[in-house]
Amino acid sequence: MTVPPEKTAVFICHCSGNISEHVDIKAVKKALKAEGISVFDYEYLCSSPGQDLIKNKIAEKALERVVIGSCTSSKHGLLFKKCVRDAGMNRAMLEIANLREQCAWVHPEKADATEKAITLLRGKLKRLGHVEPLQDIKVDISPHALVIGGGIAGITAALNLADNGVPTHLVEKDSSIGGQMAKIGKIFSPDKLAEECAMCSLSPLMNEVAAHPKITLLTRTEVEAVRGSVGNFTVTLRKKPGYVRDSCTACGRCSRVCPVLVENEFNCGHKDKTAISMRFSQSVPKTYSIDPDHCLQLNGKTCEKCAEACRAGAIDFWQQAEVLELNVGAVIAATGFKEYDASLKTQYGYGIFENVLTQMELARMLGINGPTKGKLVRLSDTCNLDAGNSSVGNSTTDSFNAPPNAFTNVPANDPTLNSSESSSDNENLSDPPVPGRIVMIQCVGSRDEKAGGIPYCSRYCCMAALKHASLIRKKYPDTEITICYIDMRAFGFYENYYRAVQDMGVSFVRGRPAEVVQKSDKSLIVRVEDTLNQKILELPADLVVLSAAMLPSSGTREIAGVLNVSQDETGFIKERHSKLKPVDSSVDGIFVCGTAQGPKDITDTIAQAGLAAARARAFIADSPKVLVHELASINQLTCTGCGDCLSCPFDALSFSESGRVVVDPLLCTGCGYCTEICEKGAVQVAGFTKSQLKAEIEGVLEAGDLLGFVNSGISSLTCDNIGNSVLSYPSNVKLVKVSTGLVVDKELIMHAFRHGAASVLFVEDPPDNPRAEVIFPLALRHFEKLKEELGADGSRLHFKKAYVPNTKGLAGTFTNLAREGEMIR
Amino acid sequence: MKPIETVPDQKLLLFKSCMVGQEYPGVEAATRYVFDRLGVDWFISEEQSCCTGIGHYTDLFEGLTTTAIAARNFAVARKCGYPNITCLCSTCYAVNKEACELLNTNDEVREKVNSIFREKGLDELVYEKGDMDPRANFYHAVEILLSKVDKISESSVLDFSGIRAAAHHACHYYKVKYKDVIGNPENPQLIDDIAAACGADIVRWYEDRTLTCGMGFSQLHLNKNTSLQVTKAKLDSLKNAGVELMIHMCPNCHIQYDRYQPVIEKEFGVEYDTVHMNIGQFVALSMGADPYKVCGFQTHSVPLEGFLEKVGAI
Amino acid sequence: MMPLLPYVNEYDTPECETLAETAKRSIRTPDSLGLDRCIQCGACTASCPAARFTDYSPRQLVKRVLENDWSLLEDESIWSCFYCYSCNLRCPRNNSPVTIVQVLRQMAVNRGIGLEKLAYFVEIGEYLAENGASRVPGPGLKNMERDLGERWTGFKRDLDSVRAELGLSPGDVRDTKGEIRAILEGTGYFEREKWIRAGTGRDAELPPEYVSHNSPGHEKTGAEFKKNDCIKGDLSFETDRDCSGSEALIV
Repeated sequence: MTVPPEKTAVFICHCSGNISEHVDIKAVKKALKAEGISVFDYEYLCSSPGQDLIKNKIAEKALERVVIGSCTSSKHGLLFKKCVRDAGMNRAMLEIANLREQCAWVHPEKADATEKAITLLRGKLKRLGHVEPLQDIKVDISPHALVIGGGIAGITAALNLADNGVPTHLVEKDSSIGGQMAKIGKIFSPDKLAEECAMCSLSPLMNEVAAHPKITLLTRTEVEAVRGSVGNFTVTLRKKPGYVRDSCTACGRCSRVCPVLVENEFNCGHKDKTAISMRFSQSVPKTYSIDPDHCLQLNGKTCEKCAEACRAGAIDFWQQAEVLELNVGAVIAATGFKEYDASLKTQYGYGIFENVLTQMELARMLGINGPTKGKLVRLSDTCNLDAGNSSVGNSTTDSFNAPPNAFTNVPANDPTLNSSESSSDNENLSDPPVPGRIVMIQCVGSRDEKAGGIPYCSRYCCMAALKHASLIRKKYPDTEITICYIDMRAFGFYENYYRAVQDMGVSFVRGRPAEVVQKSDKSLIVRVEDTLNQKILELPADLVVLSAAMLPSSGTREIAGVLNVSQDETGFIKERHSKLKPVDSSVDGIFVCGTAQGPKDITDTIAQAGLAAARARAFIADSPKVLVHELASINQLTCTGCGDCLSCPFDALSFSESGRVVVDPLLCTGCGYCTEICEKGAVQVAGFTKSQLKAEIEGVLEAGDLLGFVNSGISSLTCDNIGNSVLSYPSNVKLVKVSTGLVVDKELIMHAFRHGAASVLFVEDPPDNPRAEVIFPLALRHFEKLKEELGADGSRLHFKKAYVPNTKGLAGTFTNLAREGEMIR
Repeated sequence: MKPIETVPDQKLLLFKSCMVGQEYPGVEAATRYVFDRLGVDWFISEEQSCCTGIGHYTDLFEGLTTTAIAARNFAVARKCGYPNITCLCSTCYAVNKEACELLNTNDEVREKVNSIFREKGLDELVYEKGDMDPRANFYHAVEILLSKVDKISESSVLDFSGIRAAAHHACHYYKVKYKDVIGNPENPQLIDDIAAACGADIVRWYEDRTLTCGMGFSQLHLNKNTSLQVTKAKLDSLKNAGVELMIHMCPNCHIQYDRYQPVIEKEFGVEYDTVHMNIGQFVALSMGADPYKVCGFQTHSVPLEGFLEKVGAI
Repeated sequence: MMPLLPYVNEYDTPECETLAETAKRSIRTPDSLGLDRCIQCGACTASCPAARFTDYSPRQLVKRVLENDWSLLEDESIWSCFYCYSCNLRCPRNNSPVTIVQVLRQMAVNRGIGLEKLAYFVEIGEYLAENGASRVPGPGLKNMERDLGERWTGFKRDLDSVRAELGLSPGDVRDTKGEIRAILEGTGYFEREKWIRAGTGRDAELPPEYVSHNSPGHEKTGAEFKKNDCIKGDLSFETDRDCSGSEALIV
């Protein structure tokens, strides 16, 4: 379909100097105008006047084809598509040349960048000679929502969705919702300048979740698989057995007779619960469950003590895992964080010295339902702590909720019970002394470029340290507390709280400690320079508390893979835009909030969770939805119905009742596997047809170029990230986006060689998400096959896996291969 | 982090160390002895020169000289077919590794070094980018030993049980190129793991574990008082931890601890019971090597006889 | 900008406007040097053995480099670093005071400062050219003899026989076929050595701007050269700085 040149226009965005300072836009315009193309440029095409310019020119000149030279299409592609659609143009008639991330930002020489910009635009212009209008595909959205993770983020999101009338499933892998907030004991108030009971805020919300008619709560449940897309996610859940029926009254008799003590993850690994237990006394659902790894009965021994003790007959050793399937329209990932493994910073002695703790461990210690029932001790003074505290899991000392077993007769056969039941501070035989000197070390793992460290600020630790310092000073006024910090980050109104803690007499030393040293009496010395007075200090301490960084939880890392959403280099789920789309993941219909998205405190988590719920609801409400990603399309005229393409790895192709091959738009990923198989060429991926790719190749290539076929997923992002990372590579690297390398056949490669490509590089997504796990091996095999088929020219074919953080590596590959190309030239 | 699996046992150029050769030749003899028994394929070249470390870190040599001499040693290693440079001295290790990195990444320096070679008619020394791999061609002997720790454990014949030993890992092994250390560079455990495999009662943590030996290149000579204060701090913390045997991996530390322990005792009026040896000597001893004819303990300043009797080596 | 003198090595101390630029471009520092990213956290100083026992502070050194304080070059403290690289290991910003101070010392040397310290070791060059190996230089050997006593001197006398007993060649001499000498000639080392030797005998010719800004320092340097006449004779430990620092403060 040829279009006269006057019906085609190119729009170039200056991007406020981001492009125009590196690309000589005048020269580009001159070159293209010589070819009869109208060219317009504007400071910001993404702005409303910029979009108006495009729309007006389309109308004014009755344009049929538009090329926009701007930033990467992954940034404003949708916006521009909408813009041309508003002007009455089919979205296929728009092409976006990436003049920023893959041109202006990576080619420091202006002449090189200018020349490359012209070729990129020319490639897109040529491509437009071979486009067909793309039909919009509409799908209905399921009205249900799924929230993954039952911490404060997930609880908030689920309640917001449900209050807005959206039927919501809340999935939690532990036996109770509550998450990390349930552990921390106290939260601080920047306006009251006080510490408040965290559970008193959290517990009512947890109960609300349990009672809400629109919420289905599934604990001990994990998401195994998610299929489908855009508003119709089929989610497979596995609910692990708890071996206790819902008839459990949480009386606690079972736990008191259970002979097995196990490490309590909730209490940072202290061995203070039994194999049948409740996570904590306010657990929701309020049901005991059995730890199958430690229960004697479940491990082939005879015990059944809990079953004998249970008056409700709730114990069920034969319970099995259940697999459930849901159909949901939107998903919110709220899978949270884990504390950094402080033993990686060996210089601070965590894991070597007993009296070095993390802030989370200190929070548990200060928690009234913690391993020491809120008493501050040196762990080295309490060697019998674990053994003597077996009934903490029963929460007999809980102060804010009537303990479930307070009204029942305590069985007399529990030897540990009497002492701990009636324990009060002055009654213990040898009360360990209160640690008199506490040193806290900030930025442990955070703001650390060294191996094992993480580059970012974890945001919560300064305030956590202040909160704990304040709590301790209030309870034990004689305690000396020193906080060693690099910068105290008490942003916004938190500064008030910081000031109040300063007023309490907590000392602050500005310096990053070198190391912690243990003396023979198990006391500690912190070596630090007070950088404000240039003194090297050796601070003696009874306890050292490390403010360890916040890392994505293992659940967050796993769910990102299951959901196939992008992550940042540390593993947090990446939002689509750090400012404008802070809760949208890279996949439509999947949202993220809380510490699954990045380090943050409770306040920010709740704010973000509310937004995620609002966004998810808006997404569900917008039904039916128009699909924008490109799919395989079958040319029914040339299709012989041989059925070879039905080997589609995603099962997206099938025979219709009328015997035609049809594509399921929800399953097709547009990978192009079928295009490789179909001998008749009857199946092509819309937007990545052979003729389009051929045309683009002709347009962009010059002799000696390196042509890169870049997978439009992670690989494309990585290529863009090279620009974001201020790295550079030679301008004879020409990148052409493909749905995957599978759409590139031998003919295209030969075509590229004929048009000057010195070598061809396939850049593919690494196999670390479900889609790429399927595609990557196929793409690699495809590449190897091509290499073989090309014979001697096979050596000019290269393959590279692109990991998002490895921008340096990819830029290096580009540079090396491009240099080879230059030598050939 | 350097994965232990990648440590080779073939084509190792055992890199001669000046301070080993002149002060503790037993370290070289013991390492050869151990390597032979572990089936390590090693070679020593008489053509290999000093790495220039002493001159480099006393600021006498500038970087270009150091790099050029390193490039020559790389040519020696390649020519004899033993390209895996394996050092007895941690400074040789760091100097060579850094020089290799520089030659690979800095075209200007590489060209300058090569032009010097060409000008002097030493064309066979010319270094081409990538001739050596800074990560794959450079090792410290202790890494080779650790990679064979199971075999060392099997071959151990002396009973070190009850011997409280502690390690001093050399700064220039783990603090210069900290990304290429086996294990966590904040807590290197190579010597500890080897000594534990030989049955020693290893003190894995003691105060000032990561403190330098105090030699400090020019410091020992120009600021001796400070230098020995540092060494004393270290010896004190070993004493507090009840350590009888200190094991190290670098002749510079060896000199500082062994030669200067008696000096510190005299000058500071203190007493230490700690004896010193290199990890190569320790492993050789555990395999039953002769303390004098292989380990060369007669060159030590702190007498080892009491210790050797205790473990039944003499 | 100061004129470069012929003995200056442009690789260790490239000619730059600022101390920081020189440090970053020097081959002594890593490419990834986080000098500009320093947040003055003091992890370097707290980890530094010299800081523990003297008044040296790598953190303050870095600050002064960033402030472009050229008087740093004549500050005696730059000669206190042990080159133990603890700061290099610990810095959370990937800065490396230990390599920066190496550059500063070279810059000082270029200006005739601290030559006496190099002169102490200067015979290493010729020994290396001749034997392919290094050894403790003469003044150091003298001190070691005095400190280590007969046990050591006796062993040193018997070194060849000990080596033979251990199955090693007598004497640690390498067969470098004159290549090391050729390389030292090629890199200009011997020119530098001549200059060091000469510099310890007389005041160095300092660039005029430097002298005008820092004349007290210049004089101090000259005075120190005289003090170090003792190098040639019985070198004791007078070179220990007057300020030996204090033990770390216990709070």
